[in-house]
Amino acid sequence: MIRFWTATAAAFSGLMATSAIPQIAFAQTGGAENHADNGIAMLPANSALASDVHFFHNVILMPIITVISVFVLALLLWIVVRYNSKSNPTPSKFSHNTLIEIIWTGVPVLILLVIALFSFELLYNEDVTPDGKQVAFVGDGSTLEFSFANDFAAESRKVSRQEHIQVFVGRDGALQKLPKNAYRTSGFKSDVVTVTLERAPSNGETVIIRGGRTLVGQGENRQIAMAPTLTLKVNGYQWGWSYAYPDFGDFEFVSNMLPEAQTTAALYRLAVDNEVVVPVGETVRVTTTARDVIHSWALPNFAIKIDAVPGRINETWFSADREGVFYGQCSEICGIKHSFMPIAVRVVSRTEFESWVDQQRELAGMDPMFGSDDKIASLANAAGEK
Amino acid sequence: MADAHTQTAARDAHGHGDHGHDHVPPFFVRWFFSTNHKDIGTLYLIFAILAGIIGGAMSGLMRLELAEPGVTFLTQFTGGNVDAASNFYNVLITYHGLIMIFFMVMPAMIGGFGNWFVPIMIGAPDMAFPRMNNISFWLYGASGILILLSIFAPGYGSQIGFGGGWVLYPPLSSTTGSPGPAMDLLILSLHLAGASSILGAINFITTIFNMRAPGMTLHKMPLFAWAVLVTAFLLVLSLPVLAAAITMLLTDRNFGTSFFDAAGGGDPILYQHLFWFFGHPEVYILILPGFGIISHIVSTFSKKPIFGYLGMAYAMVAIGFVGFIVWAHHMYTVGLSVNMKAYFVAATMVIAVPTGIKIFSWIATMWGGSIDFKTPMLWAVGFIFLFTVGGVTGVVLANAGIDHYMHDTYYVVAHFHYVLSLGAVFAIFAGWYYWFGKMFGYQYREVLGVLHFWIMFVGVNLIFFPQHFLGLQGMPRRYIDYPEGFAFYNQISTYGYYIMAFGMLTFAIAMFDAFFVYRKKAAANPWGEGATTLEWTLPSPPPFHQFNELPRFDGKEAAAH
Repeated sequence: MIRFWTATAAAFSGLMATSAIPQIAFAQTGGAENHADNGIAMLPANSALASDVHFFHNVILMPIITVISVFVLALLLWIVVRYNSKSNPTPSKFSHNTLIEIIWTGVPVLILLVIALFSFELLYNEDVTPDGKQVAFVGDGSTLEFSFANDFAAESRKVSRQEHIQVFVGRDGALQKLPKNAYRTSGFKSDVVTVTLERAPSNGETVIIRGGRTLVGQGENRQIAMAPTLTLKVNGYQWGWSYAYPDFGDFEFVSNMLPEAQTTAALYRLAVDNEVVVPVGETVRVTTTARDVIHSWALPNFAIKIDAVPGRINETWFSADREGVFYGQCSEICGIKHSFMPIAVRVVSRTEFESWVDQQRELAGMDPMFGSDDKIASLANAAGEK
Repeated sequence: MADAHTQTAARDAHGHGDHGHDHVPPFFVRWFFSTNHKDIGTLYLIFAILAGIIGGAMSGLMRLELAEPGVTFLTQFTGGNVDAASNFYNVLITYHGLIMIFFMVMPAMIGGFGNWFVPIMIGAPDMAFPRMNNISFWLYGASGILILLSIFAPGYGSQIGFGGGWVLYPPLSSTTGSPGPAMDLLILSLHLAGASSILGAINFITTIFNMRAPGMTLHKMPLFAWAVLVTAFLLVLSLPVLAAAITMLLTDRNFGTSFFDAAGGGDPILYQHLFWFFGHPEVYILILPGFGIISHIVSTFSKKPIFGYLGMAYAMVAIGFVGFIVWAHHMYTVGLSVNMKAYFVAATMVIAVPTGIKIFSWIATMWGGSIDFKTPMLWAVGFIFLFTVGGVTGVVLANAGIDHYMHDTYYVVAHFHYVLSLGAVFAIFAGWYYWFGKMFGYQYREVLGVLHFWIMFVGVNLIFFPQHFLGLQGMPRRYIDYPEGFAFYNQISTYGYYIMAFGMLTFAIAMFDAFFVYRKKAAANPWGEGATTLEWTLPSPPPFHQFNELPRFDGKEAAAH
C-alpha cells in the first residue's frame, strides 16, 4: 500500500509538472532512468533516429490529435449547453451545407498530408539500413578542395545535395562540424563529389568528410548515419534470446531473464544474465530470426521493434548516442513465458567493447582479435573492483 | 407453419393476418424453431449478453492479475503454479478477444439489432430467408459451445486452452506452439461462426436489395440499414478469407501440409496476411452498425434530420472499401518491405477522412437541434467523443515509423478498446436503450439508464486512458507480469474496472427493474417528433408479423431523412 501511495504521489507530481506545457512535457525525454518509471512520456531516446521518432510523436502528432480531440469535445459541450431542448425549444431543420462539408473533408486531407510528409522520411530512415561513409584527410595549410567518391551501390543512395555531405575539421579528438556556409559541394552528377572549404585547414589538422542519404537527428544533432560497423544476430526461442556476433568470429551466447531474487525492484522482469554489448556511436545492424514461434525484439529507447520469425531474417539498425544499459521486452506473444524474456543492451565505449569481444572469443576458444591478454586481465580486474 | 406464413406475408402485400390476429407459435416452436426476425433478433441479443458476461468476467480476471506486479492472483486458480497461471492468463486474453468480437459485438449489432430493425426499417415483413436466419443463429450456438469446450481441451503441454491471442498466429497456433486439440476446436468454432455470419450477411443483402417497401429507394433507406448492408458485404468478402486461413492452419496441424511452416517451405507471414485481410474489415464490421445506430439516435433526440445523409451513407461505403486495402498496417514489424509499409501508411490514413465526415456530420446534426439528453442520447454523445479519441490514436498508429515503437504495446490496446469497448459497446448500449421499449414493450427507468451511462463512462475511461501512458512507456501487451515502472497506471486501470463492473451491476438492476418492478408500458413512439423511422409507427412491441399492408414511400419523403 505504501508503495502504491508513493507511486501515486510521484506520478501525480510528474503529471502536474508536465501538464502545464504539454508539448514540452512530451518533448522532454527523460527522467534519470532509461526504463519505464510510471511516467506518461516515451522512454528517453538514445539515438538520433529515436529522437526523430520522439519529435514526430511529441511535436507533430500529439499536438494535432490533442487539438482535434479538444475541438470535438468543445463542440459537443457547446451543443450540450446551447442546443438542449430547454435552451433551444425549436429545432432548425437544415440538413445540408456544401461549404462546411468541403471544409471538413479538405482540412483533414491537408492535416494528413503534413503528417505523411514527416512519416515517410522517418519510415525510410528506420527501414533502410544506412550506408553513410566517411573519408579522412590531413590538412596542409593550403588545400581547399577535397574529394568524396560517390560510389554508393544504388543510384537512389548516391549523395545528391549539400545536405548529404557533412565536414568535420580539427585536431584529434576535438573535431568540429563545419556550418553549412563554411563549405560548398559540387559534382553530384559525377562519380566524385568535390567539397570546397572556405578556409584551408591548417597543417596537420584532420578533415573528415561524411556522406550519405540517411539524415537523422534533431537540430544540432542532425547527422548522416554511417554504414553498420557490426552485425548482431538475434535468435528468439521459447523463452529467451540468443545472440551472435558474426563480425568477430560468430561467437554466440544465450540471454535469459534474471530471477527476482537476483535483481533490483526497478529491474524486475528486465534484467538478464548476459547482456548484449555494443559500442557507442556506431551503427549496429540487427538481424532477427526465431527457432520455434514468432518473437519480437524491441528496444523502446532506440524506437525499434522487429519480429523474429522462423524461416525469415528481418533487419533493422540502431546507433547509440550514449552509454548505459537499455531494456526491452519480447513484443509478440510466444507462449507461457512471453512476459519473461526481456532484452538488455549494454552500450559501452569502443575500447570496452573490444575487450568484451576478446573475452567472449576466449570463452568460445578463439584468439583475441583486438588486444593482448593483459588488457583483458586489467578490464576483468576493473570490473571486479566495481 | 410459421415460416410458410412469414414467407407468404413477405411476398404478398395483402397477407391474410392482421395485427390483432397473430399466429404466435407455442413456446418451444417459437424460440427453438424460430423463423421470425424479431424473435431471432431477441435470441441473438440474449446470446450476446451471455457472451458479454463471460468475456467481461475474463477481463476482470485479467485486470485483477495486473493490479500489481508479480504473478499473484491467477495462481489461486492453479495451486500456485506460475506456468499454469501464465497459460491461464494467455487463455484469458485470447478468449476474451474472440468472445467479445465474435460472440458479443457481432451477434448484438448484426444478429440482434440488425435482425430486429432492418426488416422493419425498410418496411419488410421479415428477412428474405427466414429459415436460413434460424440456421445462422443455431450455428452460432454450436460455435459458442465449441469455443467453450476449447478452453478446457488440452493445449500446450499439460496446459488447457489456447493461449496465443485472438489472431491465432502460427507457429504458436500450429503443432509447434499448441499441439493439443484446444486449437482444433477453436478453428472449428470459428468455421461455424464464420459460416453463420456469411449466411446472415447473404440474408441481409438479399433482404435489403429486394424487400424494401415500394418507393423506398436505396437513397431513402435509413442509415442503420445502410450500415448493415455495408457490413454484410464486408462479411461476405472477408470471412471466406479467414475460413481459408484457418482451414490451412487446420491441415497444417492435422494433415501434414506446411502452408505456414517454414521448415516445410511455408511462411508464417502468409497466415498474417490472410488473417488481417479478414481482420481489418472485421473491425469495421464491428463498428459500422454502431455508426448506423448513432445516426438514428442523434437525429431522433435532436429532432432534426441527419445532416448530409448521402455523405453519411457513402462515407460508410468508403470506409468499407478502404477497410479492405489497409490490412498490413497490423504487420509493420513483421519484416515487410519499406515501400509496402509506405503504401499501407498512406492507405490507412485515408480512412481518417470518411471517419471525420461522420463525426462532423453527427455534430452538425445536433447543431441547431432541440436536444433531449435521454439515456440513448447520452450513450451516443459519449460514443462520438470516445470514438474520436480512439480514432486519433489510430492516426498515430497508422504511421509505421511510430508503430515500430507502439506496436504490440498497451497504446494499441488503449486505441482499439477506445474504438471497440468504448465505441462499439457504447453504440450497443445506445441502441439497447433506444429500442428497449420497442423490442420488449416495457420502458426502463430513466434515472437508472442515466446512472448506468455515467458510471460506465467514468469506469471505462479510467481503465483505458492510462493504458496510453503504459504504451508510451513501452509496456508490451499480453503480459501477465511487468516491471515496477508500469505498476501505477496498471493499478489505476484495475480501479477503473471495479467502477465499470459497478456500472454493469447498475445495468442489471435497471433491466430487472424494467421487466419486473417498473413495468411501464412503452408507447409506440416514446421519443416524439424526431423518431421518424418505420419502427416507431408500430406498437411496442411490434406484432408478431408486421406490415401485412406494406408501407409505401412512392412520392413521399423517406422516413430516414
